[in-house]
Amino acid sequence: MNSVEGLVNQIQGLSTTASDVLSLQNLLKQADDSLHAESTRLLPFLDQLDPSKHSLGYLYFLEACTAGPVTKEQAGSYVLMIARFITSCIAEQIRLAPDKFITVCKRFKDQVLLLEEPLRGVAPMLTAIRKLQSSSEHLTALHPEFLLLCLLSRCYKAGLSILEEDVFEVDQPRDLFLFCYYGGMISIGKKWFRKALELLHNVVTAPMSTVNAIAVEAFKKYILVSLIHHGQSPTNLPKYASSVAQRNLKNLCQPYIELANSYSNGKIADIETYVEANKDKFESDNNLGLVKQAVSSMYKRNIQRLTQTYLTLSLQDIANRVQLNSPKEAEMHVLQMIKDGEIYATINQKDGMVRFLEDPEQYKTCEMIEHIDSSIQRLMTLSKKLNGVDELMSCDPLYLLKVNLLFHIKASLVVT
Amino acid sequence: MASSSSSGLTFKLHPLVIVNISDHYTRVKSQLNPPPLTSTSATVNGVENQQQAPRVYGCVIGVQRGRTVEIFNSFELLYDPSTHSLDRPFLKKKQELYKKVFPHFYILGWYSTGSDAQESDMHIHRALMDINESPLYVLLNPAINPTQKDLPVTIYESELHVIDGIPQLIFVRSSYTIETVEAERISVDHVAHLKPSDGGSAATQLAAHLTGIHSAIKMLNSRIRVLHHYLVGMQKGDIPCENSLLRQVSSLLRRLPAIESEKFQDDFLMEYNDTLLITYLAMFTNCSSTMNELVDKFNTAYDRHSRRGGRTAFI
Repeated sequence: MNSVEGLVNQIQGLSTTASDVLSLQNLLKQADDSLHAESTRLLPFLDQLDPSKHSLGYLYFLEACTAGPVTKEQAGSYVLMIARFITSCIAEQIRLAPDKFITVCKRFKDQVLLLEEPLRGVAPMLTAIRKLQSSSEHLTALHPEFLLLCLLSRCYKAGLSILEEDVFEVDQPRDLFLFCYYGGMISIGKKWFRKALELLHNVVTAPMSTVNAIAVEAFKKYILVSLIHHGQSPTNLPKYASSVAQRNLKNLCQPYIELANSYSNGKIADIETYVEANKDKFESDNNLGLVKQAVSSMYKRNIQRLTQTYLTLSLQDIANRVQLNSPKEAEMHVLQMIKDGEIYATINQKDGMVRFLEDPEQYKTCEMIEHIDSSIQRLMTLSKKLNGVDELMSCDPLYLLKVNLLFHIKASLVVT
Repeated sequence: MASSSSSGLTFKLHPLVIVNISDHYTRVKSQLNPPPLTSTSATVNGVENQQQAPRVYGCVIGVQRGRTVEIFNSFELLYDPSTHSLDRPFLKKKQELYKKVFPHFYILGWYSTGSDAQESDMHIHRALMDINESPLYVLLNPAINPTQKDLPVTIYESELHVIDGIPQLIFVRSSYTIETVEAERISVDHVAHLKPSDGGSAATQLAAHLTGIHSAIKMLNSRIRVLHHYLVGMQKGDIPCENSLLRQVSSLLRRLPAIESEKFQDDFLMEYNDTLLITYLAMFTNCSSTMNELVDKFNTAYDRHSRRGGRTAFI
């Protein structure tokens, strides 16, 4: 008890300047075990500490407090406490003990899920991420937790701000896998198929030494999303995917590969029978909704293929070629596609003819200028970043060793 | 070291000499730098063991016709630091060899590298006076000065001047011109292309053009800013209102835009978009090439499996 009280006093005293905080951190590290031993009695001491001033000490106490098993009633109060702590803590102090902070936030997430109210965790987790990140390009272990909460609470828009950022630094590979996978799922939920494709592509081509389950699931979704978005599935993984992935992923996702094959044949009836036959497999992977979307996107593909052959076509013809039931349905599909900007056409309702047009973009407008200009700016920042990494690489001792070895060998053969 | 020669001789220097001296110096310097590799060549050709600038020495040969001295070629010489003189037997042998190939060429003088002529150089100069009664001293300054426009080569002659009552030989600088033969022009052009940043190729012309436009726009921007500041001050009332100035500013502003028609807008925007797209494409290519280099470096350093290129036999 005395040691805990003494610790509380020290925390209150040493939390003002940066050097004090560093010495406080050493003290706390040493006292960590004793704190854990007294974890059940620490709760009243927490009231003596102010999270907005004594963040580091509060963090240690909180972590010790929540270490044991937690009941549902306790979870409620803990959730409130942790949420308040996250909103009011000081970022610099927190960054001195990132592991503890991550542990506390993960426990927070578990408790929120225990209470079955994931929505309560979304906002505090976002604040926690912003405080833990050293820059907006840094991927912490909290990112996937946050996205998981967004997914479970169906609060997809909150995840958007996190997904838009470019990631350049990653703490743990597992974080990246989970982050991209959950991000892909959120994007699918919001129907941003291009972003979903990009994120899932990252998971599938990330370097891995053994096949992991996240990559397998991601690959299944990747096939389906690329069917929906592009109308074709990737037959082979790109060369930069790890050899482990290239060898094994296809074998583990056999039903999806066959689905993609029958998709490319273009016959809707075949695909529908195949889906019916394998319904359980798709359902067990929770992918049935995506599969259905893929099937319905087949109509779009077929209509798009028509634009490449015909200039004008009647609605009846479209319905026949695309195997739709009636011209009315065909009209609905075409109208939807025109609205989404997937084809350019005009429907003449008097004689039921559809005329396919060229892309009307003339590249003459100011909006296009701004669009290209912003792309150029993005490329410039990327180029600077690449140059920085390139320089770092040139100074890397391992690289210099290998290059110098070659140079010395050649030079010793040439000199005198 | 006076700065103008009064001998009235015109000097013509061929680029081959400059390239030779520069090559000699570079070779010696680069062989000197990584000591463990080159234990043999550390003291060749008059290199003193300084870390920064080894001095190299040699002879220049050419033709003297009347008042014109044309320096065609050069060769390297050994310098003996103990006696502070050049290796005479070697010089004789070389002279005979060159006489066989170029019967018209005479030894006109000697060369060295450094930033300025030094006192010790006079010894060497005097020693050569028995071959040529008035030798030349060609000095190349190897320090790279990007702001300097001229070649860092100076030609010195020796003259007898009376200083403090004592007649002394001192170096005086002479002017020279560069003379090229067709073959030399081609090879110099070729060498210049190795460093495209210094050549006059198309890329630098474009860069020069764009830099000019950029500085013009910058100046325009700053001037307009001054005007704007002035007008804001006038609006706030800090500066008394001057109508004549206001009229001038207003007429200036009405000069742009020059054309307002819709066809012009269309064409202008289309061309603008085209240029932007080309810039975008160029940036893409640039990024791709950086990425490519980065991946190559990464593979060289870390890739354990695929080591393509069989020249990496670890003997």
